Amino acid sequence: MSEVSGSLPGRPGSHGEGERGDDVTRRERLLARAFVRLADTLAAEFDVVEFLHGLSVDSVEILRAQAASVMLADARGGLRLVASSEERMRVLELFETQSAQGPCLDAYGSGEAIQASAAECQSRWPEFGPRASEAGFQAVCAVPLRAHADVIGALNLFRGNDERFSDAEMEIARAMAQVATIALLQERALRERSMLTEQLQAALRSRVVIEQAKGMLAEHLSATVDEAFQLLNRYARDNNRKLTDVSRDVVDRKLSHEALAGRRGDEPAAIANAPDVSGPGAATAAASSKRRAGEKTAHGTEEKDGKRPGSQPPS
Amino acid sequence: MPEEERRARIVSAVARPGGMTRVDELMQRICRYAVDQMSASACTLALVSGAEPLGLAGAGRHASTITEMQFEFGEGPCLDAYASGEPVLLPDLPVDGAARWPVFTAAAAGSGVGAEFCFPLGVGPHTIGVFDLCRDEPGMLSDDHLAEALAAADIARDAVLYLQESPGHPDVATLLEIVGMDRFVVHQASGMIAAQMNKTPSDGLARLRAAAFESGRSIYDIARDVVERRVRFGE
Repeated sequence: MSEVSGSLPGRPGSHGEGERGDDVTRRERLLARAFVRLADTLAAEFDVVEFLHGLSVDSVEILRAQAASVMLADARGGLRLVASSEERMRVLELFETQSAQGPCLDAYGSGEAIQASAAECQSRWPEFGPRASEAGFQAVCAVPLRAHADVIGALNLFRGNDERFSDAEMEIARAMAQVATIALLQERALRERSMLTEQLQAALRSRVVIEQAKGMLAEHLSATVDEAFQLLNRYARDNNRKLTDVSRDVVDRKLSHEALAGRRGDEPAAIANAPDVSGPGAATAAASSKRRAGEKTAHGTEEKDGKRPGSQPPS
Repeated sequence: MPEEERRARIVSAVARPGGMTRVDELMQRICRYAVDQMSASACTLALVSGAEPLGLAGAGRHASTITEMQFEFGEGPCLDAYASGEPVLLPDLPVDGAARWPVFTAAAAGSGVGAEFCFPLGVGPHTIGVFDLCRDEPGMLSDDHLAEALAAADIARDAVLYLQESPGHPDVATLLEIVGMDRFVVHQASGMIAAQMNKTPSDGLARLRAAAFESGRSIYDIARDVVERRVRFGE
């Protein structure tokens, strides 16, 4: 497998060596941006789940990974997935497998950063390994989120190729985990364990609300849960609201799926007209795949959908 | 101790295996269990609606008086845990509570309560009650007791949720042993079912659990079927 860093024209045939310079510059820029974002959240009132989602997305970009997740320790005795860069069910399941076995659990248990190649994954974690390769992942690393002597969770990164994470990359991952931990714990004076428990329970609860809201939206809009998450995220961002609050409004039916799927004003987008009557049949699949195709242009999606109300396939 | 094991152990202590257990009886036994196993001087389970307790079960020296007092005064950690949906843990109640709930704290300290720990019974944004543990001695719960308390609160919540869906179920113990509630897909499916039935995600979750129990499949597998649109729950 070749280099994954997409932005580099590079020098053909140099096997990445010549790209390092550009790569580092680019990474420094990304890293600076990520840390500024982390510092911003120190000042503002912040949403734990959204914050950790941002961290996982940033770390994917900076560390040239394909997916990342953050897991936090639950006082019930396990690790819980709180955020991930990807919402696809299969990937989420893979992350969740790690509550029983995998790099995340090991990093959490030992308090040390670890990494493994595709082959090492198979031999070290017989259940996790095959599922990781099934989902298209090879090299993996995990770094603990440490607060003083306590380990409160772990940041986990997956690559689509088998390139090891360099020492510098591991160092960056540790730094990001460290800053994230501080940000996570700063909201309340976290020297006391009782505060830590309350905080983490709140994060887990937020996550449940978000999943419920994704499910409700997905059903109403005949969309996938991943698409529903993107809508929630976008609406929260556009309206400068917390993801958790928006999700709660959806669950409490204070915010309709029409409002969420529509444009910022009250102009309804085509998706709002998506068939309520739909079963799990062809209309669903068609609406769903159409949206996915549009989604690639990120912000252009709504406009596109909005201009083609007639294109909703009736069946 | 692994979570599943802990849960199974508590369930076997509070629900009759293979038998019918009424919800009030179950609540009572969970409180008893907490007093015996978590070094609590008192424990209360309160099912709450609005600011009113709908049902109370208690065990221990003060039984449910410490909890009831809070509803009476309109202040206290249980009400805050209910309102916020987050645990309120007070390792030193007389010190930690004095400024936040002066009336309640004075009364509780007068009854000899040194520490209080309140856990909401919550499903997503909805809180249906509070699990309240009191101790005479100040000090934080040990990790083990904290895990026990959270698991006991989960079991109480699940019992209420499930028994509202199918009251008088013949095998509550087996039902309550079903774990896997924490998987994302379960909550996504609960949301989808809520939309299909025009109900709340808590109702959706109860339906999911009932379906899991009736079919003998895991709640997780059925949730997957729902999210992948192989199964619908219409009205």
